[in-house]
Amino acid sequence: MIYFFDGTKAAFLTAFLLAFPDREAYLTSGQKQLSLGQKTVFVVADAQRAEKAEKRLLALDKGCMKELDLLLRSGESGHDQTAFRYLRLIAEKKQPVRSMLAEECVAAATESLRRVGTEIHRMHGFVRFMESESGALYAPISPDHDICDLLVPHFRARLPVPFVIHDVPRKKAAVYDGKNAFLAPLDRAELVLSANETQWQSLWKRYYQSVNIPSRERLKQMRGYMPVRYWKFMPELK
Amino acid sequence: MFDKHLFACYNSGMITEETLQILAYSAKFDVSCSSSGSKRVNSGGMGNGYPAGCCHSFTPDGRCVSLLKILMSNDCVFDCKYCANRATADTRRATATPDEICSLTVDFYKRNYIEGLFLSSAVFISPNHTMEKLLLTVKKLRTEYGFHGYIHLKGIPRADEAIVREAASYVDRMSYNIELPSEQSLRLLAPQKSKESLLLPMRSLSHEARVFREEKRKGYFLPAGQTTQMIVGASPESDGQIIRLSQSLYRGMGLKRVYYSSYTPVVHDSLLPELPAGQLREHRLYQADWLLRFYGFTAEEIAPEGENLPLDLDPKCAWALRNMQLFPVEVNRAPLEALLRVPGIGGRSAQKIIEARRYTLLTFEHLKRMRVVLKRARHFITCGGKFFGAKNELAVRGFLTAGEQSGNAEQLSLFGSAETARAALTGEL
Repeated sequence: MIYFFDGTKAAFLTAFLLAFPDREAYLTSGQKQLSLGQKTVFVVADAQRAEKAEKRLLALDKGCMKELDLLLRSGESGHDQTAFRYLRLIAEKKQPVRSMLAEECVAAATESLRRVGTEIHRMHGFVRFMESESGALYAPISPDHDICDLLVPHFRARLPVPFVIHDVPRKKAAVYDGKNAFLAPLDRAELVLSANETQWQSLWKRYYQSVNIPSRERLKQMRGYMPVRYWKFMPELK
Repeated sequence: MFDKHLFACYNSGMITEETLQILAYSAKFDVSCSSSGSKRVNSGGMGNGYPAGCCHSFTPDGRCVSLLKILMSNDCVFDCKYCANRATADTRRATATPDEICSLTVDFYKRNYIEGLFLSSAVFISPNHTMEKLLLTVKKLRTEYGFHGYIHLKGIPRADEAIVREAASYVDRMSYNIELPSEQSLRLLAPQKSKESLLLPMRSLSHEARVFREEKRKGYFLPAGQTTQMIVGASPESDGQIIRLSQSLYRGMGLKRVYYSSYTPVVHDSLLPELPAGQLREHRLYQADWLLRFYGFTAEEIAPEGENLPLDLDPKCAWALRNMQLFPVEVNRAPLEALLRVPGIGGRSAQKIIEARRYTLLTFEHLKRMRVVLKRARHFITCGGKFFGAKNELAVRGFLTAGEQSGNAEQLSLFGSAETARAALTGEL
């Protein structure tokens, strides 16, 4: 049976309980090509059941809900099923399984977690803020995974001004207003740049060009560390 | 200690693009760009340390941009033979003011272009004058500009200890470049520097940092430690000698890193080689350096004193081939130290193996699934008694060098043929 759900944690956990005894279960919040005669069910979040599942899983492994949160943020197809199989193994073995790397579903979950974690680390470096007239900062991003709110603590600790990190394709933004942080839907942002913003950007571009050593060109290595899909919001690469 | 009024006449506006270009261009051959190792917290201003370090961009040469790497001035009174900024060179000169550097750092940092500042300088007017200007800049940055991000400061040889120590109290990392791998070469190529002028301040800072830690004093004193850099291929020292020097710097001086920079001729001089040293040699030295720091190898195991590292094999493979009597090791039983010595198995893979084998007898398939790279490792391990490598030592050598050649073909072509690279080593040195 295929279990469709809306991608939220509560709906996932509700579906988890339903699907647990089903050896053929496939959980997904995205699209799935159906073959003829395949049974499907649309699972709606049930707060009580979700809480029950969460409590049971947490009793077996304190760290698994944090991992679930990250796994559900993955933008790769099949990530919901990866999370399902990983949590099911915890329930079956009745203990934390993250060290059992020889198990296929643990290896898959580890890889998925690593990729989400890697993108968070990368975005700490690749986010580019623009300064608005009011002094607040604005950064558009388009990450593979749904992580914009997870970037806030890092920047909040180091920046003394309000800022917005806008996930453009997902049409949402993580906002820090100087006191509190929250997520908000955001389609398009209207921005009036500060007086010096363009000059700082052009100084940065000049700096970037000056530190390159053209005789040692290694574009493959460059793209490996900084994939081209991230370039469009970085002034030095535009 | 120094005249503050002197600086009042400087305007504190935005640095010009031209000045920035000259000062960044002059600094770019400095290798280090690491921003790791500091846990400095943001106390009411802007910025903090990021212990893992953070790369903010990558240039087309494949190098990371983490710090704003810039010289205060490129107007040098020293005349080191190999240096583009030496006193007798005909090059455009520029000097930035402390305020220009501070506001550049803060505004770049705010936009998340950089993780901090790497400030260095040519020796202008005198070592003390230069060091005082550097001190003034980092002090301003911390106190007036409220900046708590990463600062790496280059030490100026022959500057007074008191100025150096005060500067060190504001920054995360300091480095003195030992420049060349032997005293003799230093005397020949960098006559105004001496072994003492480089090693004494390093030793004194390392002592100071230790006292600071032991007395559990408040605040920070070089939380990311000290590093150094040396040019490889401008003078005749062998890799074996260089690795021994690095080992003694790690052990005796407690350095965090030694950087190697393969020699690029910017100047024609009868004392200097005409050809650049190969990038591959530099790469091999870094591999050897990692073996020293993370894999429990000693310099003596890695290379005999008078010899260079082989170019066609990485140093760990070369060591393993010299010590075939120690292999294969059984992945289900071998201790961590033994796993770390298997070619192709790094720290993370070794850790994964140790964890996973607590639950099951690991097979070759398991290792693949765990993403342990087996291209080289398979010749040196058994999984539950089964061996998947080549039959004899000669075949193993063949597999290992063949892999190296195809893997590095592109890299080699960047600086000419493999023969050129070798000629640069054997012919010139």
